Amino acid sequence: MAELMQVSQRQSQLPAGARSSQGNQYLTFSLGGETFAMEIRCIREVIQFGGLTLVPLMPDFIRGVINLRGAVVPVIDLSVRFHRPPSDPSKRTCIVILEVGDEEHLSTLGVMVDNVSEVLEIMREDIEPAPSFGSTLRADFIQGVGKVGGQFVIILDVNQVVSVEELASLAASRGDGEAT
Amino acid sequence: MDLDRAKLTFIIEAHELLDAMETSLLAPDSSESVNAMFRAVHTIKGSAGLFGLDSIVRFAHTVESVMDRVRAGSLPFTPSLVDLILACHDHMARQIEELQEGEENGSPGTLAASEALLARLLPYMEETPNPHQANKSLVSPSWQHSPEEEESGQPTWHISVRFGEEILRQGMDPLSFLRYLMTLGTITHLTPILDRLPAGAAFDPEHCYLGLEIDLDAQVERQVLEDVFEFVREDSQIRIIPPHSKVEEYLKLIRELPEGDLYLGEILVQGKCLTPKDLEEALSTQRQEAMEGGTVQGRLLGTIVVQDQALPPAVVAAALDKQKRAKEKPSHELKVVKVQAEKLDRLVDLVGELVIAGASANTLAAKSMDSRVLEATAVITKLVEEIRDNALSLRMVQIGETFSRFRRIVRDVSQELGKSIELEIQGAETELDKSIVEKLSDPLMHLVRNSIDHGIEPLEIRRARGKPDTGSLSLNAFHESGSIVIEVADDGGGLNRQRILAKAVERGLIQDPAALTDQEINLLIFEPGFSTAESVSKLSGRGVGMDVVKRNIDELRGTIEVESYEGAGTTFRFRLPLTLAIIDGFQVLVEDTSYVIPLDIVLECLDLGPILESEQNHLINLRGEALPFLRLREVFETPGPFPARERVVVVQIGDTRAGIVVDRLMGEFQTVIKPLGELFRSVKGLGGSTILGSGEVALILDVNQLIQLATARRPNARPRLSTTA
Repeated sequence: MAELMQVSQRQSQLPAGARSSQGNQYLTFSLGGETFAMEIRCIREVIQFGGLTLVPLMPDFIRGVINLRGAVVPVIDLSVRFHRPPSDPSKRTCIVILEVGDEEHLSTLGVMVDNVSEVLEIMREDIEPAPSFGSTLRADFIQGVGKVGGQFVIILDVNQVVSVEELASLAASRGDGEAT
Repeated sequence: MDLDRAKLTFIIEAHELLDAMETSLLAPDSSESVNAMFRAVHTIKGSAGLFGLDSIVRFAHTVESVMDRVRAGSLPFTPSLVDLILACHDHMARQIEELQEGEENGSPGTLAASEALLARLLPYMEETPNPHQANKSLVSPSWQHSPEEEESGQPTWHISVRFGEEILRQGMDPLSFLRYLMTLGTITHLTPILDRLPAGAAFDPEHCYLGLEIDLDAQVERQVLEDVFEFVREDSQIRIIPPHSKVEEYLKLIRELPEGDLYLGEILVQGKCLTPKDLEEALSTQRQEAMEGGTVQGRLLGTIVVQDQALPPAVVAAALDKQKRAKEKPSHELKVVKVQAEKLDRLVDLVGELVIAGASANTLAAKSMDSRVLEATAVITKLVEEIRDNALSLRMVQIGETFSRFRRIVRDVSQELGKSIELEIQGAETELDKSIVEKLSDPLMHLVRNSIDHGIEPLEIRRARGKPDTGSLSLNAFHESGSIVIEVADDGGGLNRQRILAKAVERGLIQDPAALTDQEINLLIFEPGFSTAESVSKLSGRGVGMDVVKRNIDELRGTIEVESYEGAGTTFRFRLPLTLAIIDGFQVLVEDTSYVIPLDIVLECLDLGPILESEQNHLINLRGEALPFLRLREVFETPGPFPARERVVVVQIGDTRAGIVVDRLMGEFQTVIKPLGELFRSVKGLGGSTILGSGEVALILDVNQLIQLATARRPNARPRLSTTA
């Protein structure tokens, strides 16, 4: 499949020419008809959607777990995380495997997106800070707004969007609500 | 430079030595155990000196001196001295811990504690404590009285060191050797030899090119000096010339070392080891020999060694002894190989992957219907099983070490409470997974303290009840049907069920006390914040602890039983899986999600027959016995219609039996447990996940939690399901 691709693990592993002091590389993808971008630095790979195992009694934003070459990796439905209806898996649906957290607590998890588009470089001067209002997304989810070919894409702050700490406590509060 | 690695080795060794010392201290009767204590302190002092850890060296030195007097029989090992040495032991352990945390010179608190303990040790020291005294006492008698030694007060040793190029990379600091030598005596002359230092590009900053010529005034045995260079001996050239050696000895040194003769000669003259005249003569002989040819020179060197009478007999004996020990050492090392726990964990992980990959190959082979492929995979499966068992056995350790740590705790705590308690240890050789042992010491600690504090009665009550004065506490471990059982038992007062019930009602934990079995009442003490103790003591009674015990055991996928007879004692029994990594599982299906039940708790499987009484009660008739059951589909809120035929897996945990209703039974298989990760920390009823032969992820059920989850959802439920007791 065309949109299936292996992204280099870390930006530092890219050939020196691919990096620039002026900008960073971003992966753009679509979700619910909207285009988003995230820094390629925390992306490990992109795989086809499938092979999901449901974990019972978990909130809707946790779609389940997958087997990623022997490791059990949770998959987050980004759409639900953005308080939108759950994603409907199609042929083009992908799971973007991310590594988030700091050096000591690096966790691997996947996010479900409708399809991935391309990897592109956005110059620093083409990125504007997150708007304080006017977006349906939580402000801290947005790292900035990039201008790409006359279009605006929202650059997500991955560490906020899939903060393991926040997701885990959300999952826990759901569990408690269930017990009472 | 990786000094940390060498230091880590020191820390690990120091911990081991301190453990050995403690064991000996708790049974100080034999002379062998006194020797062992002395050796432990001595080795710690020596190694600490290498790293320049002055505060540890100083403290250990004083303890060593006292121990040496005990060893020599000039000081009785009274109980009060044992207590003091125990305190010193703890202090050293603290010093090592601080070092581990990066506090090289000791925190102010520890230093103050050092001083306090040193002051207490002082009365046990000889009248004039002298830093060289202890070293002197190390000297074997023959050497001590050797006539040469008594000629002058401070004999001068000459030490010639050419460090190996690799020593910096091995984490050694040349300076540390000098520092340690300075604790042994006075360095009167020191000349660095830099001849090996290459010029320009050939210079590698990670190489050590240093050599040292040292004159040391010290009253020590040759062995002590040799030990100083223990860690670098292999790569470095080290020559130690005893005091008052004949001139030839020095000349031999000059000849053997690569540097220019004159250069070395001058250094020796400076250090007053040689007179200029000696040097002159030596050099002229050498020139002569050189002219006579290489073969002659080789022979000559040999004869010098044979004729060499400079070495006092004690030195020869020490050298022989050292040689013998060096020969013995490799055979020991062959018996036990120290491996980093991480490496073992990695191996077990890999074996886990192998098991999964094997299961996947098996599935494919079964589909292929090719008998040759089936045969080949069958052989591989058998080998994988053997490798799995072997790999897991590598991580198995005996529980004895954990148990014997409690000797000290029992001794200290019972002394503090004024109770006389004997600890009995059984099944110390029982093996279980290292990761389990580590997590077990906390819960055991709580239970032991609890037994001493609340279990075993004060003396007057024991006498009134007609029990022996000395209370008994026992730790016991054994294997039972695929799991490990660990018991903590005391012959104390037992649990007071009336008080537990009253407390539980008061706290609203239960509504109907009459409905509970004794076992269920006993288990109430594991509820968070539950304490029936009338007084809160320093040790226990705050109600924290027992719930921690329960949580720890739950994490280990274990169960707890309590057996208690009022007035006669209490036994806590943990039942734990043999290993945490790999289990035999039984795969079931609900809708299209796979779940795995640990096979060792599965009793049987059957079709879900007619349900007894009403659906709400969730009871089925199992050969005349009412068996409570839960539907996985309901507990996990799985959407979809109930299948026409449902199956029941009957499980047993401890005395509790229950049925788990599922859609389909898929059979048993070997499985590797993978934790679900931080995101799922709140998940209930699941103990982890595993990967099936098909590559699909299956969830492992935590049946204990599952039962709790199911009961919590049902109104008017009893806290536990049925028991067969």
